[in-house]
Amino acid sequence: MSNSPHPHLRDAWVLFFVLGVIMINFPFIHIFNKDILIFGIPLLVLYFLVGWPLSILVVYIFARMLEKTEKSR
Amino acid sequence: MITIEFVIFITLGYFALLFAVAYYADRRRELGRSIISNPHIYSLSLAVYFTTWTFYGSVGRAATSGLDFLPVYLGPTLIAFAWWFLLRKMVHISKEQNIVSIADFISSRYGKSAPLGAIVTVFAVVGIMPYIALQLKAVSHTFELMMAAGANQGAARGILAGLPPYLDTAFIIAAVLALFGVLFGARRLDAAARHEGLVAAIALESLIKVVAFLAVGIFVTYGMFNGFSDIFTRFLETFPDRKSLVMLGTEQIPYAKWFTLTFISMMAVMFLPRQFHIMVIENSDENHIRSAMWRFPLYMFLINLFVLPIALGGLLLSGGDTTNADYFVIHLPLDAGHTWLALLVFLGGFSAAAGMVMVESVALATMILNHLVMPIIIRLHIDKSVGLSDLLINIKRLAIVAVIFQGYLYYKIIGDSLALVNIGLISFVAATQFAPAAIGGLYWQRGNRRGATYGILLGFLVWFYTLMVPSFVRSGWLKSEILEKGLFGLSILRPTELFGLSGFDLWSHSLFWSLFFNLSAYLVFSLFTSPSRIEQEQAEKFVNAYGYQEEEQTRKRISKAPTVMEFVDLMAKFIGEKQAHASITEYLGNREIDERGSLSEYELPNLKRFTERTLAGSVGAAPARIIIENYLSARGSKMEDVFDIFGSVTLSRTTSREQLGVLYESARIVAGGEKLDAIFEQILDLLFQQFKFDLCVIRMLEEDKNTLVVRCQKGMTSEHLGESEREITLNTYIGEAFLTNSVLKANDTDFLDKPHSAQIIHREGIKSFAHAPITMEGQPVGVLSAFSRSVKGIFTDEFIALFRSIAGQIGIAWRNAIQTDKLIEARGRERELEIAMNIQMSLLPASTPKLRGLSLGGICVPASQVGGDYYDYLVRDDQSIDLVIADVSGHNVGAALLMAETRTFIQARARGIHTPSQLLAELNRFFYDDLTRAELFITLFYINYNTETRRVTYANAGHNPPLVWRYGKRCCEWLDAEGLILGVKKEVSFQEERTTLNPGDVVLLYTDGIIEAHNDRDELFGTERLCALLQEHHALDPEMLIPCILDQVRLFTGVQNFADDVSMIALRVEP
Repeated sequence: MSNSPHPHLRDAWVLFFVLGVIMINFPFIHIFNKDILIFGIPLLVLYFLVGWPLSILVVYIFARMLEKTEKSR
Repeated sequence: MITIEFVIFITLGYFALLFAVAYYADRRRELGRSIISNPHIYSLSLAVYFTTWTFYGSVGRAATSGLDFLPVYLGPTLIAFAWWFLLRKMVHISKEQNIVSIADFISSRYGKSAPLGAIVTVFAVVGIMPYIALQLKAVSHTFELMMAAGANQGAARGILAGLPPYLDTAFIIAAVLALFGVLFGARRLDAAARHEGLVAAIALESLIKVVAFLAVGIFVTYGMFNGFSDIFTRFLETFPDRKSLVMLGTEQIPYAKWFTLTFISMMAVMFLPRQFHIMVIENSDENHIRSAMWRFPLYMFLINLFVLPIALGGLLLSGGDTTNADYFVIHLPLDAGHTWLALLVFLGGFSAAAGMVMVESVALATMILNHLVMPIIIRLHIDKSVGLSDLLINIKRLAIVAVIFQGYLYYKIIGDSLALVNIGLISFVAATQFAPAAIGGLYWQRGNRRGATYGILLGFLVWFYTLMVPSFVRSGWLKSEILEKGLFGLSILRPTELFGLSGFDLWSHSLFWSLFFNLSAYLVFSLFTSPSRIEQEQAEKFVNAYGYQEEEQTRKRISKAPTVMEFVDLMAKFIGEKQAHASITEYLGNREIDERGSLSEYELPNLKRFTERTLAGSVGAAPARIIIENYLSARGSKMEDVFDIFGSVTLSRTTSREQLGVLYESARIVAGGEKLDAIFEQILDLLFQQFKFDLCVIRMLEEDKNTLVVRCQKGMTSEHLGESEREITLNTYIGEAFLTNSVLKANDTDFLDKPHSAQIIHREGIKSFAHAPITMEGQPVGVLSAFSRSVKGIFTDEFIALFRSIAGQIGIAWRNAIQTDKLIEARGRERELEIAMNIQMSLLPASTPKLRGLSLGGICVPASQVGGDYYDYLVRDDQSIDLVIADVSGHNVGAALLMAETRTFIQARARGIHTPSQLLAELNRFFYDDLTRAELFITLFYINYNTETRRVTYANAGHNPPLVWRYGKRCCEWLDAEGLILGVKKEVSFQEERTTLNPGDVVLLYTDGIIEAHNDRDELFGTERLCALLQEHHALDPEMLIPCILDQVRLFTGVQNFADDVSMIALRVEP
């Protein structure tokens, strides 16, 4: 049995990585780089305050899925 | 109320706690119940990434330039998402290869190159220098802040006041951290290179860090202000001109810089020596990575959550003054009078620094030891038998101290001229220089040693020129001339605008140029130079980490291989005796060891690899390889390819089919039942053809000469190897094979330890040979030998097994042949004996003579086919008859011959000699010489009976006295006369006795076979029973009496055959 990760799961991790790089860089981030306060918090700061934990949540869910598929193997 | 002494006390107490935790973790590890082997601890220990820079510097950064403190954590978050394929592969490879550091990782990937390892080490040490300086700076500054706070509250300067001025706080901190590094990281030289105690301490520190930072964050945000929105709103109202602090793409933080920071922190979190150490080397289970992928980003998120609020809050409270922004975290609680909170923060900051310095110094010290010191030591000490482990551990300790004080030196030079973050980023860009070689090495098989070496070299030169030089200039240590006018006054070489590239920030500029040269060199050299074989092998192991099978390795062997103990001694030199013995025990645990306590030849290359790996765990891959290779070459051993006789040893199925084929064929030959020589010939033919030997010989034992004699040979004509006899001694290989009853092989005749054999072998140009004993019922009876002139290493284990089997077949053929011979021989001897017996029987009287006045009967029953008993009748005239009964000792042919001789003498001479005593005397004289020579003797009774007078005259030569049944008295008498056994003395006079018989008397002459016949209770038949029989059956005719007596004797013994020859003569006087 090969010890390497599932190919399609590995591709998913590459996708997350690439998406993440895009979403925190120019030009994507320029969308949120506005002089607006929402709930008293600058938009860009709020973007990070929400986006960051959200991305962690997604990775968490995927890590759990990975664990399950590995165990069921 | 906090005094200076109290701060020191708390700090020392905290040290003690950390050490206790570390000690506990080490103990638990020794017990095999690791407390750190779980994803929680692993994720926490990764947070060694958060140094004082995060702790104090992020806030300072946020207060001065805004959001650009963030990319340093966003980058690692992103790369953490990629860990499942990137980090996991690195961990997998490192475990497979027993890699101990980033330098080891890179040098291993590029063919275990020692120079590359040294280059990476030097650059890592130099590159990390600013980073350590930063920690010292932060800790000493906060310590002074705490003490100042204590002093404000009226306490004296206390202990520190007495110290000389050059011993500043940073120096003391450096010394304490160095001590810590030594205690945690270099108490002993560990073969596994893992430091569970250190990891446990780091995890605890990480916990303190995040708790302290969250505490102060919550205090500032919700204690001093009313939450996030309050701080942001008030800040933007108070300082509307500083709204760039919460924006990107500004003059302070252009997008390029943002990207640069994200990128270098991604690389730094992977390739900073301490990160690599904690993530890869200290990883205890690849599966921990899976949960660290979200735990580590979560940690980063939590610790950064309050950075902006604290920074902006601090600015609001300080009226916009940024001079002390780096220390807002500690200032804010101090100023608010919460000294306990400040103390917690101080401990958090201290944790951040201590953890970083400890791990970094241990990781760097390992690299220094393995890649800088070890190559020198190896050249100096490899042949000496001294244990190096003490020396090595001390060097490691020294290296830890040196690394930390180098950082101290940089701190003294740079001083306060740079902000914390800026110092740290210099190291980040340095760590990024390892990225092309490391990541390229993981995924690009063509990447080779030259590419990596030149890439890293160029990258670091550019890094040094574009970042370090400006930092020196800024501190005033170098003249600013170089910055303004460039090197040698060439403006094109200005460090911050290299080749005229202007308009970029310091980091983006440096990153661009360093990576440009680094990557270009890596790609160009990799593409246009070719890798060596070991590079290719290592590249394969790295790139195909999961699919790589060590197949090829099994075909290697070590010529003149060291023994297991020699390997252990070698290991002991570097890792200490105890460790060496522990690891070898573990290694040997599940392996077969042969009767001489050594591993099979084909296990030895595995042991060599194991030794190399074990050493690698201690000294790194490249030095381990050099150690092993130096060691082997020093003793004349070398790795060589094995000529593979079966096409492929690894394909065991096809191998065994071939083996079976040959064995089947030889078994068929043996079973064919041809003559032995034909069988031998055919088996040797088979060996010769199948395996292309140059000579095959069968020698068999010739017992009386104690030599092995050639029975059959095939192949080249060699007087010495193939045609001569061999004495059986341990001085020859063949003799040893025979005497020890085991297969002896020499796969490489360059290394023989029997000088006599070696001489012949070399003269005949033999490259390899083997002797297998031919055995019969377990005992060696000969030796099968095979010689090859063309190939070394022909005798693999599998082949030896086959060879031994064939020798076994020869043994069977030999046994079969011997058995057949014996059968024929036995048949022949039986036939001869039969003839002898017939002759002997024909010498006995064919019939009993008939004389008036007496009746006779006689019998001789030999025990074996030929016997030594003799009886005879000699009729002298009508009235006189002689009776003889004799017993020659022994029952063999010799006895039978003597008996015949006796008979001849008596038959020839009896008529000329008139009295029995005379005859016995003559007979004795005649036989004396023959009997003495043959070591035999004869007992004989001679009797003469006159029918007319009824007188018997008799003489005895030591024979059993005959019985006389006196009819008138109804009792038994003995006829006895004095006389010696024949053949004892030359001149003997025999007494002659006379007596008169009456009608009805019975005389019974017999040999001892009758009276000494015994039953299963060991009772003898005896004369009394014989007498009783006579009494009972005296009336019978002698012809009937004798069979009757025999029957009774048989009845008594219970067996049909007599143990001794049995002869009798019975004479009855008839009326």
